[in-house]
Amino acid sequence: MSVSRRSFLRYCTLSAAALGLDALKLRLLNEALANPAAPSVVWLNGSSCTGCSVSFLNRISDVPGQPVDVVDVVGHAINLVFHPTIMSAAGEVAVSALKQAYNKGNYVLVLEGAVPTAFDGHACVVWKYAGQDVTYQQAVQELTARALVTLCAGTCASFGGIPASGSNPTGAMGVRQFTGRPTINISGCPANPDWVVWAVVQLLLGNPIPLDADGRPIALYSTGFDGTPEEPVIHNKCPRNPNFTSTPLALNFGEDGHCLQDLGCRGPFTKSRCKAAWNGIGGVYPPGAHPGHWCIGVNAPCHGCVEKTFPGPEPFHEPYTL
Amino acid sequence: MPVITAAIDPITRIEGHLKVEVKIDTVNGVQQVVDAFATGTLYRGFEKVLEGRAPRDATIITSRICGVCPTSHAMAAVLALDAAYSVSGDTPVRTASRLLRNLVHGACYLESSILHFYLLSLPDFIPGLPMAPWLPGYEVGRRFDPGTLSRFTTNFLAAVAARRNAHEMGAIYGGKLPHTPAFLGGGFTAIPSSDDNTAFGNYLADLITFIQTKYIPDAELLADLYSEYLLLGKGYGNLLAFGVFELDNSATPQLLLKRGRLVSGNATVQAVDVAQITEQIRYSWYSGPDANPAVEDTVAEYPKNGAYSWLKAPRYAGVPYELGPLARMMVNGDYSNGISVMDRHLARAREALKIAQAMQGWLAALTPGQTAYTDRPKPVTATSLGLTEAPRGALGHWLQVNNSVISKYQVVTPTCWNVSPKDSSGQRGPLEQALIGLPVASVDKPIEVLRVVHSYDPCLDCATHVTRAEPGAKVFALGALPG
Repeated sequence: MSVSRRSFLRYCTLSAAALGLDALKLRLLNEALANPAAPSVVWLNGSSCTGCSVSFLNRISDVPGQPVDVVDVVGHAINLVFHPTIMSAAGEVAVSALKQAYNKGNYVLVLEGAVPTAFDGHACVVWKYAGQDVTYQQAVQELTARALVTLCAGTCASFGGIPASGSNPTGAMGVRQFTGRPTINISGCPANPDWVVWAVVQLLLGNPIPLDADGRPIALYSTGFDGTPEEPVIHNKCPRNPNFTSTPLALNFGEDGHCLQDLGCRGPFTKSRCKAAWNGIGGVYPPGAHPGHWCIGVNAPCHGCVEKTFPGPEPFHEPYTL
Repeated sequence: MPVITAAIDPITRIEGHLKVEVKIDTVNGVQQVVDAFATGTLYRGFEKVLEGRAPRDATIITSRICGVCPTSHAMAAVLALDAAYSVSGDTPVRTASRLLRNLVHGACYLESSILHFYLLSLPDFIPGLPMAPWLPGYEVGRRFDPGTLSRFTTNFLAAVAARRNAHEMGAIYGGKLPHTPAFLGGGFTAIPSSDDNTAFGNYLADLITFIQTKYIPDAELLADLYSEYLLLGKGYGNLLAFGVFELDNSATPQLLLKRGRLVSGNATVQAVDVAQITEQIRYSWYSGPDANPAVEDTVAEYPKNGAYSWLKAPRYAGVPYELGPLARMMVNGDYSNGISVMDRHLARAREALKIAQAMQGWLAALTPGQTAYTDRPKPVTATSLGLTEAPRGALGHWLQVNNSVISKYQVVTPTCWNVSPKDSSGQRGPLEQALIGLPVASVDKPIEVLRVVHSYDPCLDCATHVTRAEPGAKVFALGALPG
């Protein structure tokens, strides 16, 4: 059963009010769907917690020309042919949709979760196809080989993350380490939805994405929400930094608004644009609707979740040194 | 007519990795499920990862067991940590900690339930938005007139915003969702301002309106239109809850949703003694004895003859129990219809309202500027336990501290109970049992199976976190796989 794109557009026009579409959005939709060569997006989960997908659903933005929320992204900007958390189809119908994209070859691959290699990859079996179990490591090898580009959503896919930490009981690792192929690493635990959407939009626009030595887009932590350059390291741009504000150092938890360096904050070692970046419109403060939030803003020391060293063996609530 | 085996792999619109295999035969003229096998297809080994870490790392690390219920794990961890650190007393600090934890945990319940009904479950019944990834889908029977379909679609879109707003609300105190770092052994890091409280209250009022005017009526309408599902998917009918949302600062606090058990056929709520819990592994890819989580020592074993899941089979006094909103609401006396697919959806919706309304009271009791952290020295040795509920059901963390670091950490999650494989005496898990006798109209489109599976709101990454693979686990050659 399928609905032609023409009839979908007609449906949207008739239901515009109900669907919250205005004239601008209808035009963008028309443009996106009019492009028959527009790439599909395939999103797979491996050794993951689904947190990056849940975070993706939290997308909210008021930047003109950018997708507002996840329905906008999925409905108008991309053709998301496979996402196990939200797709209607299950079983072989779902896998067939993915195979179609694979066979055509014009897909952007988004990978969430680490790649476990223990038990010949059977620590994660993603589906059965034609009677055979397919391990995540097999799926990753095959899909990264033909993808237009592979985007790692989150620290687990980028660097291995928590499943790969400690004694790494499942032989887990990041995608780049496993495949040897280049990836765009949108690290974070979870990945911030604005970072993932930003990367997807750049790819759709055909813009180059300069990456740092860890494969992460440089722009995402060295450019402010308003486009002006900023310090990459959180501590160097933190409103609680005692070096350029009169903020005292917190001696213990339970203090409000103090610098958290002695309580385990990894801000001095973490490159990220996190301030007021979470669960709201990035960089918006009250009284704006949907203001952003962040860990340090609720007196919680930064745990460095975007870094390839995350989590590391060091305690999160004691002074941190690399 | 030969028995047909149909596997749905992957099950989508859940959290994590799950395969369900059913055997279908015609009995008394009705094509139906005659056997069922639920296979968790991922494990990660969180307990091994936790060993040797500072005790308070447990909140940050266990949160990542699941990105859909991370705050529940943080909650279980702080309960275990507070006990290990001897944090007690009826003080304004502990009240603030309790209220803030409940409010952020509650925000995540609202997000989870709205997500579950609209995004995860409704596509089993309605065609959904006419684009990928809601296309392709199974062709479902048309029980909706255009007006009803339009209502569900409109409310689906409103639900996408509502669940996002629930996380925005929680982040006012939590900082970042999923995976808030504000839960801390000893208390909570945030100190709310009156502006924070006002903002939280505004979001909460809108969510209550959404639940009352859309979520509950939609769940009731769905149950009306698919009323046969009020008689399908019951399973054993045993229900268990640890209880959640502490209402006071005592050592055994009153809970908004109480702890208790209901045994099928017996209307009297019975006590829960966690010493009666065993995790049974005969059909699970582990070796070692069946054991209580306090003493469990598990080792991954794959392949293993006869085993078919990375989930263990938790049992209470050897009996399978269903966990989740239906269990909580029935134990609490707040729901008294039946046990079925639709009863789970209805109970979940009504529970969301109950929690949201309780949150208004907790919010009103918050004192702006009140600190929420009680400092206690780190224990050298401790054994403690944190019992709470994730949206999907009862959740327990068992902590041991030795030489001031975590020496042992066990987690038993609700989906492990609900989606367990057979136990060591061959009893099916609750979901497997609930599938037995389910009529299936078309073997190629077992939509009925999906509807039963989704009613449990499975969260597989929670269920399959549990293992302790030996360091340097051998790579096993692929042998004949069971099932």
